[in-house]
Amino acid sequence: MSTQSIRTRFLGTETSFSVSGAWLSYWILLLRLTAGWWMLHAGLDKIWAWPFDASWFVGGAAQGTILAPFVTPFSDGILLAFVNVAVPLGQTAIGFGLILGVLTRTAAFFGAFMMLFFYFINGYGGGWANGMVTGELLGIMVFGTIVALGAGGVLAVDNRLREMELFENTRLRKLLG
Amino acid sequence: MSDLSTADQIAMYVGGGLVVLGVVVIGLLDMLLGAGHPVDSEGAIEHAAVVPIDIRAGIILLGLVIWGLVAVYKFAAGSAPSGSTTGQTPSGMDD
Repeated sequence: MSTQSIRTRFLGTETSFSVSGAWLSYWILLLRLTAGWWMLHAGLDKIWAWPFDASWFVGGAAQGTILAPFVTPFSDGILLAFVNVAVPLGQTAIGFGLILGVLTRTAAFFGAFMMLFFYFINGYGGGWANGMVTGELLGIMVFGTIVALGAGGVLAVDNRLREMELFENTRLRKLLG
Repeated sequence: MSDLSTADQIAMYVGGGLVVLGVVVIGLLDMLLGAGHPVDSEGAIEHAAVVPIDIRAGIILLGLVIWGLVAVYKFAAGSAPSGSTTGQTPSGMDD
């Protein structure tokens, strides 16, 4: 089993530690699968029960929260119609992206973006009854981990996409894992 | 050896610092200096916050937004990653 040595200077100190390449790959894959299914399940549930109406969330639950100025304008008209489509399709796309490893880093970024709204609006709605570390915040951290580690290298379609001319040695490659 | 760009340092130290301040440091201050945190029969904590919850949430939000903005900046402004195709260390966050 290969062990990788990580050496870097961090917070003013020399840091080094070893990590098992196999365990790191395994754990990255599990993070992707669990977070991916989290999103895919949430998205497909909304699609099966179509039409989806997010007005209770963007127009109701968001009222009085720190995100209200950014979210409540989406509570009616064409902006609400956009949210009603973007949330289910976005969650489904993020879920597939993470599970299959397609545009993994992009999927995880938008997973964190979406989770930011759930974190603050659900947190305020529940009065932060169990503190400020919630499943949504941990979700943001998981998505951030996937972005930072570039988790699309493990059993992922990104490995094939990376060989395409579109992604090879171009900035778009950063969208992959 | 440190290969952190200015953007990396902003994300790590400013963004991460705000998140840790909002989640951990203020949480600890609340616990040590605030009124009791009784837990009701449903397991919910009844908060008596030293730092108003809006400020604490704002600090965390700012930290998360900085992380996000730096990620977007690194995609938009960074150079194209180079190297072989399969099996290499992903380089998108490295430059």
